[in-house]
Amino acid sequence: MPKSIVVDPRETRKPGMLSFTDIPLNAYVLDMKKELKSHGKDALLRAYRDMAIIREFETMLNTIKTKGAYQGIAYDHLGPAHLSIGQESTVVGQCMRLGIEDFIFGSHRSHGEIIAKCLSSAARLPAAQVSSIMETYFGGALLRVVEKGAHGAAEDLAVDFVLYGVLAEIFGRENGFNKGMGGSMHAFFAPFGSMPNNAIVGGSADIAVGAALFKRINRKPGIVIANIGDGSSACGPVWEAMMVAAMDQYRTLWPKDVGGAPPMLFSFFNNFYGMGGQTLGETMGFKVLARIGAGVNPEQMHAERVDGYNPLAVCDAIERKKKVLLEGRGPVLLDIITYRYSGHSPSDASSYRTKEEVALWQDVDCIASYGKDLVAAKIAAAEDLQAIQQSAQERIRRITELAVSLQVSPRVRVGGRGPSDAIGDLMFSNGNVEKFDDRQPEMLIAPAANPRILANARKSRSGIGPDGKPLPKSQVIALRDAIFEAMLHRFSIDPTMAAFGEENRDWGGAFAVYRGLTEALPYHRLFNTSISEGAIVGAAVGYALSGGRAVPELMYCDFLGRSGDEVFNQVCKWQAMSAGVLKMPLVLRVSVGSKYGAQHSQDWSSLLAHMPGLKVMFPVTPYDAKGMLNLALRGTDPVVYLESQRVYDVGELFVPGGVPEGYYEVDEGEPAIRRTGTDITIVTVGATLYKALESADILSAKHGLSAEVIDARFINPLRYEKILDSVRKTGRCVLASDACERGSFLHTMASNITQMAFDSLDAPVAVVGARNWITPCAEMEEAFFPQKEWILDTIHERVVPLDGHSVTTEQGVGEMLRRNAGGV
Amino acid sequence: MRSLTWFFAPGNPDNRSLIDISKHQTYCEISMATTVIMPKQGQSVESCIIVSWKKHAGDAVKAGDILCEVETDKATFEVESPAEGTLLAIFHEQGADVPVLAPIAAIGKPGENAEALRGAGGPAAAAPPAPAAPPPPAAPAAPAPTDGKIKASPRAKALAASRGVQLAGLRGTGPGGRIIERDVAAAQPGAAPRAAPPVTGEVREVKVTGIRKLISERMLASLQTTAQLTMHTAADARTIQSLRKKFKESPEQMGLRDVTINDMVLYAVSRVLPLHPGINALFVGDTLRLHASVHLGFAVDTPKGLMVPVVRNAHALSLREIARETARLAAGCRDGGIRPEEMAGGTFTVTNLGTFGVHGFTPVLNAPQVGIIGVGAIVPGPIAAADGATSFVPQIGLSLTINHQVVDGAPGARFLQALAAEIAQFDLLLAR
Repeated sequence: MPKSIVVDPRETRKPGMLSFTDIPLNAYVLDMKKELKSHGKDALLRAYRDMAIIREFETMLNTIKTKGAYQGIAYDHLGPAHLSIGQESTVVGQCMRLGIEDFIFGSHRSHGEIIAKCLSSAARLPAAQVSSIMETYFGGALLRVVEKGAHGAAEDLAVDFVLYGVLAEIFGRENGFNKGMGGSMHAFFAPFGSMPNNAIVGGSADIAVGAALFKRINRKPGIVIANIGDGSSACGPVWEAMMVAAMDQYRTLWPKDVGGAPPMLFSFFNNFYGMGGQTLGETMGFKVLARIGAGVNPEQMHAERVDGYNPLAVCDAIERKKKVLLEGRGPVLLDIITYRYSGHSPSDASSYRTKEEVALWQDVDCIASYGKDLVAAKIAAAEDLQAIQQSAQERIRRITELAVSLQVSPRVRVGGRGPSDAIGDLMFSNGNVEKFDDRQPEMLIAPAANPRILANARKSRSGIGPDGKPLPKSQVIALRDAIFEAMLHRFSIDPTMAAFGEENRDWGGAFAVYRGLTEALPYHRLFNTSISEGAIVGAAVGYALSGGRAVPELMYCDFLGRSGDEVFNQVCKWQAMSAGVLKMPLVLRVSVGSKYGAQHSQDWSSLLAHMPGLKVMFPVTPYDAKGMLNLALRGTDPVVYLESQRVYDVGELFVPGGVPEGYYEVDEGEPAIRRTGTDITIVTVGATLYKALESADILSAKHGLSAEVIDARFINPLRYEKILDSVRKTGRCVLASDACERGSFLHTMASNITQMAFDSLDAPVAVVGARNWITPCAEMEEAFFPQKEWILDTIHERVVPLDGHSVTTEQGVGEMLRRNAGGV
Repeated sequence: MRSLTWFFAPGNPDNRSLIDISKHQTYCEISMATTVIMPKQGQSVESCIIVSWKKHAGDAVKAGDILCEVETDKATFEVESPAEGTLLAIFHEQGADVPVLAPIAAIGKPGENAEALRGAGGPAAAAPPAPAAPPPPAAPAAPAPTDGKIKASPRAKALAASRGVQLAGLRGTGPGGRIIERDVAAAQPGAAPRAAPPVTGEVREVKVTGIRKLISERMLASLQTTAQLTMHTAADARTIQSLRKKFKESPEQMGLRDVTINDMVLYAVSRVLPLHPGINALFVGDTLRLHASVHLGFAVDTPKGLMVPVVRNAHALSLREIARETARLAAGCRDGGIRPEEMAGGTFTVTNLGTFGVHGFTPVLNAPQVGIIGVGAIVPGPIAAADGATSFVPQIGLSLTINHQVVDGAPGARFLQALAAEIAQFDLLLAR
């Protein structure tokens, strides 16, 4: 059923004035008596302790980076250290009332956030649960280190555990929270709700929205906070994240019982500088960051400016906003002002600001001020606070000694001779998960009653009729039908599976792949998003790493550019950067266009092939479309699933019996031989398969050459054995795809085939790609994409002269030289 | 007429090296005038630069006079005159980069025409003209390669090698005249240039020279002048295989990773031979020289042909030292850095075709040595278990050829039996 929100010109054309409500600035008023009653003495002192620990931790790193030693412990730390000295009150205040079900995603400057979130969680959880978390994490490896010579309570041990896990991670050690795979800018500890920290400015915003969607869609407790800097407010993906988080549909179209908008809090830690650029007065125009909320929705994102220099003000704001979020009334924007004394990094001399300005903030230092408040309220004596500081120094010294030692804290073994692929082993989880939750999947109608399934039942499963001839396309299960079947299958098994993208609902998407899913699924499992390709993919990342199966869609491959960071930096990296702690069950469906000119007709499979950590598939037959999507949708790895718009309507021409009705999978990485032959091997990636078959027909009919045609199907991983066997048999090999020739993945294949089957080759492996041009208009496309003549002429010019053949296109070595010299 | 004279390494004439690299004096003598050719200095050198001429056209020269100084990327050396006479012509000026074995000058009697020698392409070109063959018909299709290099696909080369087809005579029908598989397939298998070719087309004759010629002469002489008897056995290879595996996985600094099966056989031979002095011997004239030390020759397959460097005092070397020495010598053979003396003075030889899957063969004696062991492949072989059942274990083939003139079958067999036993329990041998 289509959505029924009428856009009425009588309403939309009415004159009037749009009004805004006031946005509070630093509204918090300190009442220590009230706070004491509310938090209790211990929690207030613990906040002081946590700030002191973070300050000392960051000071230690700064000292090591700038002086090569800390308290006499010499160490040369090669990696980065983006410190937050001065900002301790924001993170500690933020975490005072959060539970482990509340997630915090952060930035490259997040050591303080990890420590604050973990120390708060450790203090507030039952001791047995804390012990269990420490005991089970990496088999207790970290705990074994810190419990030696430990003294005091379990919570005290947990403090050591957290600090050691973070510091070992920063120093790239196997005992780090992520085995040293993340390092300073990416460390996190999910068991305590400290989620991935992102070195791409604003990178956490859309990922956090995905985590919030996961909580909402799967009815999980807690809220999600993205701690991002004021500088990131200028980043497109951050804006996209706010748009996706603020979509009306959560309250207008989604089932009421789902609970409204995702519980998403955009927490801008506003230290007034984006690296050296000053967001107040120089690089931004908002004057007050909280103003942004007014541009997003009528609730103005419940925006406020909060005095981040007072931890209790931050705690108060978070507590109030958490209530709003849990009621489904989000998203929320907080402009939490703070200040870092340290530079962007130790190499930053802070030449963009004056010493006087820094001094002004140091005069109201957040730790000292909070200490004064505690003393004034007689919650602590000055000596007590001094003792806390002293204890923090001793603790950091102890932890630093452990983390620096290569004996206690070795690195993961990589490199050297012999098989040692410790990092390679982390790139993919290669899991096989039927469903990520045991509850009943929410479906509107049973799959058997689905109108599309009923329509499919009337079609031929094979594209070939009883007479051996292809059937009319309208009568066969086409590639788009096969995709649908795989989607519906997994939707009906895995309750966490959600699909979203532009125009995914109502009319089945731009290419009718999802037609029939609208009837099958409630809104929260299949929905349209704003035109926010970055946030579509980013949200899917957050959704997947939170524990759900996500199927985002990009309507055109050309839009990969818009989601470049999300695909190239986030989707493919988090499994390894988390040392396998996170899984990324995410299938990104990407449609590859044609006939739509230069910005809607590009096959960018080669860009995807280049990115470590992505699985890339390109099925071009209905059998493969279903079998490969089935494979992708039960895995635990990120898959980019490419679909060519040229072949959405093709029937199954190769597999006898056509597309099975039941469930099956295609073997991962295994190419398919579409036609056997003895004289030349033609390997294709994508829909060029069908052109190659036309070439093979001509080779056979006119030139007496029997071509073996192989459909690679997979780009990564790819098993070469079948291709090599073929090339060893034929001695000749031509590769073809619709990707532009320069830098094409085909060249990687050609190089590999040449190296692995060199002695069998009768000619160099030849590559036929699209021209290195813009894709011209539809009428001129034949001059751009590989045609059967190109394959024949390439064979004639570079592989084996064909008797009686005269070329119609230039494919010789001279032309290769000319094109390369001209850069085309 | 001498087409080419090779000089042998100094030292025991009975142990002369298979290759001459001790002198830079390399020349061909054709009819009256003598061509001076650019000597080949080392296996990898393809051309040399003429640094300076010490003699000029018209100068009288004696054999041994320094004609010119040439250099490779590694060294500078002098080219001596191969004959007495007048330096008739200099074909390449100072500074020229000249391919090895190409003519650089001619020596003869005053007034002789040396120009005919200018284009002579070294030894091969010095061969007499091929028997008159009908001129090849004009080939309008694929042009024959004219730059002297044969362009052939790897697949075509592999097929040619397996069928014994000479690529040189073939016309390439691939792009740019490349010889491709179908060209080799269409050629007569085993067609050798010397056989009058029944097909038209270009024929090239290759003179057997250099190492090849040496091998040719010495192999024939060995079989013609000794009474060779070959016997075969096989040794249980489980121990050496497991050791080999252990070595491969051993810490790099132990230096054992590259110890080969062949090294272990060499080691075993070096320990068993002293107990069988009649076999560690040279038979020269009417005298059998029994050697107390074991100087083990071992065969190395090089692109130029078979070479046999010698591991000196092998009986006193540890397995690791033997492995290092064989690796060093083999590399020297392949890159041309081997010194003549490193290929002389062997008392016994080991040759190995096991890597090619050969089970057993009849090694040809490296005369005047009286014994040579051929090492075969490791293949499953039957053994009888205590209960009479038969099982299969990996066994390494061993073929011993002896000179029956001086070694009888029984002592030879005893040696072979002892060797097989030591190989079977190689770990115990090592411990001794």
